[in-house]
Amino acid sequence: MNDMSVSRDVDTGEIKMRARGVEVFYGDTHAIKSVDVDIEDKTVTAFIGPSGCGKSTFLRCLNRMNDTIDVARVKGEITLDGEDIYDPKVDPVQLRAKVGMVFQKPNPFPKSIYDNVAYGPRIHGLSTSKGELDEIVEKSLRRAALWDEAKDRLQEPGTGLSGGQQQRLCIARAVATNPEVLLMDEPCSALDPIATAQVEELIDELRTRYSVVIVTHSMQQAARVSQKTAFFHLGELVEYGETGKIFTNPDDSRTESYITGRIG
Amino acid sequence: MANSEHIVSSFDRDLEAIQARIMRMGGLVEEAIAKSARALDTQDIDLARTVRAEDKAIDKLEEQVNEEAARILVLRQPSASDLRTVLSVFRISTNLERIGDYAKNIAKRSEAIMDHPPVEGASSSLRRMARQVELMLKDALDAYIQHDAALAQDVRSRDVEVDQMYSALFREYLTFMLEDPRNITPCMHLHFMAKNIERMGDHVTSISEQVIYLVTGELPDDERPKEDRTPYELGA
Repeated sequence: MNDMSVSRDVDTGEIKMRARGVEVFYGDTHAIKSVDVDIEDKTVTAFIGPSGCGKSTFLRCLNRMNDTIDVARVKGEITLDGEDIYDPKVDPVQLRAKVGMVFQKPNPFPKSIYDNVAYGPRIHGLSTSKGELDEIVEKSLRRAALWDEAKDRLQEPGTGLSGGQQQRLCIARAVATNPEVLLMDEPCSALDPIATAQVEELIDELRTRYSVVIVTHSMQQAARVSQKTAFFHLGELVEYGETGKIFTNPDDSRTESYITGRIG
Repeated sequence: MANSEHIVSSFDRDLEAIQARIMRMGGLVEEAIAKSARALDTQDIDLARTVRAEDKAIDKLEEQVNEEAARILVLRQPSASDLRTVLSVFRISTNLERIGDYAKNIAKRSEAIMDHPPVEGASSSLRRMARQVELMLKDALDAYIQHDAALAQDVRSRDVEVDQMYSALFREYLTFMLEDPRNITPCMHLHFMAKNIERMGDHVTSISEQVIYLVTGELPDDERPKEDRTPYELGA
């Protein structure tokens, strides 16, 4: 039948992250209004919605990136494997190693390719020897599908790579700390179609190991890479469900208007 | 939602244009059904030839509809109700084109049997059967343009009557052929015509199902009643 869900396995695996009644305020602005969502393990979840709908803000709650913004206040509960990530005992730096992030614009450190990837494992003390660190770097670059292109130039600066390679380097950097969840905030919007295709291919591989959450403005991209899709509008989570259903037969008229490009 | 306008207004125009073409195709096909049955019933050889000639216009429209639908897929990458509109257009145009072919075949066969003496009552019952299918098609197309799933469901349930008419004719022609071998040639043709009309009904049913899919997002999954028992009949 004309249903995109046919060809894709929805891994209705365990719930990796759970959000309940999440509210975010920027000063007086109520940016996120009581969002409940379950992020599944080994699944790509896409957040879609118009600019300013709160999808990136919500994404940044998942690894406490909003802590770095003074006027931002987060209420409600978010758990990772059942543990409250906003518990005062949780070290946000440790949390961000488990819940890694890749940004819109590739932002490699002004260091060598090797040091970019080795940075996280070093500060988190994940290796005890040079050999072990070498292994982590190779494994991470392989997982980010960059090893073949980078293996002969590991000491060259990461900023010398092409845009698409830089983005995969950032993914390798995020993967190097052994994360459980990868957050991606429009990871392809600064990339050309070929680099975009490579990153999408990579996302599909990454989901065999991690739970991936991606914010994207490209509806086609969301439809291609994700198994679950959440539609945000004006700070609310309007609809959340299987990607095939959202894109062929959504329940909410606001979702329908948005994905079909109508004035909502 | 589905009735409000796209931000890109040319997308709306594309979708409207392609649906208008489907409706034009539908109109021509309705006419072809009526004309082919009339040509048979009134032994009008000119009308039969007209039906055959006009089928080319239907084929041409189908080609255009498919080209436009493919263009919309590539340029607009439609989703949700827009996607269903484009997918249903592909299917409905195929169904309509097939119905047109059956009408053309009826016209061809009515030319072939014009030299034979008419078999008693046969052509008028075929015309009634064709009328039934024509009305079903009209309602299916109305249901399509009005997004009326209930009407589509109603059309779907009426195909059983066409099947019953076909079964009755099947037995009738069998009897005629047994009675007099001279009836065999015209009755073979008449039987194929009845079968053509029965198949038209199936295509109209398929159009109705596409309407239901278009409106609700799901194809009906219940088993449709079927009354064509002829595959199991061994003769009188």
